[in-house]
Amino acid sequence: MAGLSICINTQTPLVQFLEPSDGVLVGADPRTSVVLEGLREGIDYRFSPGGVTRMVHPMVRRLLEKGVLREAHWVAFNPRGPRTVQMGEMTLHHVSIGTERMDGYGKVKEAIWGRIHEIDSAPQHDDLFWTEAFAEYAYYNRLTAEQIQRLDEEHDFDVFYVHDFQQLPVGHMLGTLKPKIFRWHIPFDVSVIPDHWRALLSTYLDSYDVIVVSARRYAASLAALGPRGRILQLPPYVDPAEYSRPAPREAAKSCARFGIQRADQLALVVGRMDPIKGQDRAIEAFRQIAAEFPSVKLVLVGNGSFSGSKQGLGLPKSAGWRAHLEELVRAAGLEDRVVFTGHVNQTELDALYERCWFTILPSVREGFGLVAVESWLHGKPTIVTRRSGIAELIQDGSNGLLFDPEDPDGLAQQMRLLLDRRSAELRSRLVRNGRSTSKKCSLDEAEAAEGALLAEVTEA
Amino acid sequence: MLTLVAFWNAFKPYLAFVVIVLLTVLVAWLVNGLVGRLMRQSAPQAAGAARRVAAIVVALIGGTLALQTLGISPAILLLVIGLLGVTVLVALREPLGNYGSKYFADLYTPFRVGDTIKVLGWSGKVLEVNAMSTILLSDDEQLVSVPNSAMIRDVVVNTSPQAWKEVVVPISISGNVDLPAFESDLHKSLSKLRFRLDRRFPPVVTTKSRTPQSTDLSLILMLRRPEDRESLVVEVNKRVAETLDRVRGAKR
Repeated sequence: MAGLSICINTQTPLVQFLEPSDGVLVGADPRTSVVLEGLREGIDYRFSPGGVTRMVHPMVRRLLEKGVLREAHWVAFNPRGPRTVQMGEMTLHHVSIGTERMDGYGKVKEAIWGRIHEIDSAPQHDDLFWTEAFAEYAYYNRLTAEQIQRLDEEHDFDVFYVHDFQQLPVGHMLGTLKPKIFRWHIPFDVSVIPDHWRALLSTYLDSYDVIVVSARRYAASLAALGPRGRILQLPPYVDPAEYSRPAPREAAKSCARFGIQRADQLALVVGRMDPIKGQDRAIEAFRQIAAEFPSVKLVLVGNGSFSGSKQGLGLPKSAGWRAHLEELVRAAGLEDRVVFTGHVNQTELDALYERCWFTILPSVREGFGLVAVESWLHGKPTIVTRRSGIAELIQDGSNGLLFDPEDPDGLAQQMRLLLDRRSAELRSRLVRNGRSTSKKCSLDEAEAAEGALLAEVTEA
Repeated sequence: MLTLVAFWNAFKPYLAFVVIVLLTVLVAWLVNGLVGRLMRQSAPQAAGAARRVAAIVVALIGGTLALQTLGISPAILLLVIGLLGVTVLVALREPLGNYGSKYFADLYTPFRVGDTIKVLGWSGKVLEVNAMSTILLSDDEQLVSVPNSAMIRDVVVNTSPQAWKEVVVPISISGNVDLPAFESDLHKSLSKLRFRLDRRFPPVVTTKSRTPQSTDLSLILMLRRPEDRESLVVEVNKRVAETLDRVRGAKR
């Protein structure tokens, strides 16, 4: 097989361009093309955090290395990025919309996201697809489809792989008979989708040959909507090789930056600043146990999403949520016990995983929850919300601890279990079994599944 | 001096020819725009065809007049055109009939690819509407080709669920129109009609075909009440034309 030519589409770009203190923003001119190799990571650019890009990038790299892919083009929203970025054998293409359209686009995607995650059931959103804001959402998706169409004329792709619910209309707008795969990363529960949304969602979903979801229950619920294409359940994945133990000196330096002492026991929460991530639940549970365990600190890692950043849509959600969390911490008198790190680089993240006692995934709803896999890869026990895709892989007390996000008392109880002096055996069991479970979400395991999927749709 | 006069006399017919050709192009362009304006409320395909016909008529008249200045008799020219036209019509009567029917079927028959219809005693799912015929897949998986002329002459029953609700508006836009801006503006414009439409089915714009010169789209809407069909089609066509004008204007 000569290898496939693939076009990937995500909303979040793989690379975000930064405003360096010593020069001009590299991506300031959307007409330019740049080669990433000549730029400095952390100064000129950074890789987008978050599950989608973290998962897709290693897979594309691996499939290119193995010759399953011949070439890869990745189209994403990036209004502050150059037109194209050459990154080894992969080319990143950026779509940009005017600031006057960003507000409408952002409103629609947030409303869809809020409804799917069951945090926003405002009845006025039932008519979302008739609003003027939807016109901007359609504009962005059509613009993306047009860009992909132009690239297809040039490269004659074998397959299109579209990720993220924001991009769902792209498949329909492409108007091509070539195979199209859609990966739905967030939860899917057909019962929360308003009647007024179903026909359009079905039209869009019907344009894909395969729809990939992260959990069995999402697949079952999606089947009730009866899409034309096949539904495939495939857990998200990470590349274990990207997770390394930092040198002790490096770890100490990183922790010192956040005021973390050697004697501190850390409960770690990694996730962007967003109400859906449930950091408020973690703070409430921590408030309940703080006096019993005076050496414990709660560390909240994460910043806003790409949509909330000034490189993206500039939505104000994350700043407001962080202010709310800081207020909760103040009200509980825990200012010196709760650490907000903001965005951290990979070394700092590795250091915090290395130093933590356990991790918590407190999300109100979570499409999957790769943070738990990261925790296992770092050899740390994890407490996971039952309302996540990864909860399907967890047996309470065997490879993780589960709790209901509406029950902070339950979370506090699970935290007590892991902090108890007699918990050594439980901790070691959770780590051992967790590490074994993490293999189901590894790049090696997924490579075969993704390769088979590409072979199936292209009949290669 | 004499040479100059002789040159002018020899050159004059050619100059007149060029001037008439230029005037013809100008008038054809004006007539094209005028017909487009007069047919704003018609289906965009019908308006487009009328504009082309008007421009061709002007071109024929202008061409005949221009050739006359070169000494070619208009009577002979018209005779040749007429005879050629009759020959083509006689020779291609059936295919032209089907092609014409396809054109009108596209605009006015209440079905589209994917619907299930009954016609001439046949029943099946519409797989394709080509220039000559409509291809059905019958219940026993036979391919049935129904001449397009039958779609105009005979009774066609669309048995698809909720078929009465569906309004399909074909739209053809030239390659230089900003498609994302057009679609976005059209959504805004159509949202004003939502009280006449079934709100469970927002407008869907689908790309049917595309060339560097043009893109054919179909706009699908679902009615709330069957009696609104005719007035809604007129209103939607008007809004499509207005949106196209707006997007073209914004580009200029």
